[in-house]
Amino acid sequence: MLGRTIRNIAVIVLSLLWLVPTYLLIVNGVSSVKGFTGTAHWLPTSFGFFDNVSTAWSVGSFGPAMLNSLIYAVVSGGLAVLVASLAGFAVVAMPSRRPAFWFWVIYAGTLFPLQMFLRPLFSSYAKLNLYDTRLGLFIIYTAMCIPFAFFVMRNYLAAVPREMVEAARIDGAPWWRVFASVHFPLGRPAMAAAFIFQFVWVWNDLLFGITLSFSPGVRPLMAALAGLQGNYSTVGPPVVLAGALIVSLPTVILFFAFQRLFVSSLRTNI
Amino acid sequence: MSATLERFSTRTPSTSRRKPRRPLRDRLASIAFLLPAVVLVTLLLTAPFADTVYRSFFDDRFVHQSFSGFANYHRMFSDSAVLKSLLNTLFWLIGTVVLPIGLGLSIAVMTNAVKWGRIARLAIVLPYAISGAAVAVVWNFMLQSDGAINSALKSLGLSSLQHDWLLNWPLNTVVMIIANAWQATGVAVILFLVGLQAIPPDTIEASALDGAYGWTRFRHVVFPQLRPVTVVIVGISLVNGLKAFDLIWVLSQGGPARSTETLALTMYWETFVLQRPGSGAAVAVVLTIVVVAVSWFYLRRQLRASY
Repeated sequence: MLGRTIRNIAVIVLSLLWLVPTYLLIVNGVSSVKGFTGTAHWLPTSFGFFDNVSTAWSVGSFGPAMLNSLIYAVVSGGLAVLVASLAGFAVVAMPSRRPAFWFWVIYAGTLFPLQMFLRPLFSSYAKLNLYDTRLGLFIIYTAMCIPFAFFVMRNYLAAVPREMVEAARIDGAPWWRVFASVHFPLGRPAMAAAFIFQFVWVWNDLLFGITLSFSPGVRPLMAALAGLQGNYSTVGPPVVLAGALIVSLPTVILFFAFQRLFVSSLRTNI
Repeated sequence: MSATLERFSTRTPSTSRRKPRRPLRDRLASIAFLLPAVVLVTLLLTAPFADTVYRSFFDDRFVHQSFSGFANYHRMFSDSAVLKSLLNTLFWLIGTVVLPIGLGLSIAVMTNAVKWGRIARLAIVLPYAISGAAVAVVWNFMLQSDGAINSALKSLGLSSLQHDWLLNWPLNTVVMIIANAWQATGVAVILFLVGLQAIPPDTIEASALDGAYGWTRFRHVVFPQLRPVTVVIVGISLVNGLKAFDLIWVLSQGGPARSTETLALTMYWETFVLQRPGSGAAVAVVLTIVVVAVSWFYLRRQLRASY
């Protein structure tokens, strides 16, 4: 009985402790800069969330950054899933001599830290005039998203019965037709899942953003947030916290909407 | 079964006469399907990877650089900033295993046993959904010398416990590891819970018949069955800890005086701030070796499962 009480108290204390940073983020992010005296608010006092957001918009260029990140995440995520599905289809359904070889050629990219790619990308981007362009970020985000999307699609499409492929081939369907009418429709749930993961990954990226871009019209949202953090004392903590609140909203919503998906992916992702 | 049938059928005379043309065409078609993915990955990931390895054997000059063998690696281990970074990386390795695993396991076990555990878990898992850069902003707000923690300590009459959390080494690295654990523990909780719920109830019942309860039961019945999931969590935590960049970068940019750098930060600092491409490449290679080495025991499992 005593043990149970101690356990319950431990659970309550731990979860309350865990909520403190999130609580402070919300309370101080929505309080107005004018009322901010230099020490953190532990209780809500004034309301200035929309003023904070508009400061983040004007000082931190959050508007274009948010639009950029949204476009990067949707276009690169979508394109990567399509390209990865084609490759996954080729590896599981089509006769190729070394499916394992192709698997590793595409998949190995995810195993290494991003630091291995940065400097060569930076110098070739500078040479090819891709540095600080939207196109440049599209390309690298798409490439970065392919390996894991490929892993997901390959595992999912491997469950499509071979007989369906053989039947379609005997009927004279070309390969693209087999993909379009069998694997594409069947693979849609996995494509949606892979897309959500890649969306979140691109949305959260900071490293490529700060390495391959700098101008407000190009850089993604996390780079803009890091920039705003650099102006911490000028704009005031509530503005930076409001910025952090806004950038987290999409991923928090996606996470809780697709919680089951994220849980099952944890066991396959590294 | 079907594979053996296929192999058998290709040896029958009727098909072997027909085969030669089709497999070639099919193979070409399969290459066409693979091409976009292979080209993008090769150009943007594999080629830069190889270039970084190659570059790490040349000196830091921008033009006409000459081959310098292992000099960049050698210098890494005599540069005091890099040595501190290596030490910090070791702290991160220990911290990212001990904290998320210890806290994650105890929270999963405790919340699994109570009805309202779902709500408690929600509080722990929530930070996992927040972006790394945003986590850094929140913790910066708390850890500043005039931040939330110090102001709370002051108003509680505990001024003696106030510290310049982010300014002094090794305290600044320790608090960053704690900030990281705040975000990362949710993953461990979720996975341990999945593992706990997969334990067959009859093993628990059998242990109850044998009179094993509480700690004894956990130690000898529950924990051994959690071993596979523990391996996975250790692997994920280690690799994520080694790759942690956003949190440290936004919180301190590796400073003050490069004291909070880990290898992930040192590579960026050497390459893009100090403009030493050769040294930066060597740091990247060492980081990669560490990442691959520590995740190997976990990867092995995955490799066997996937091919």
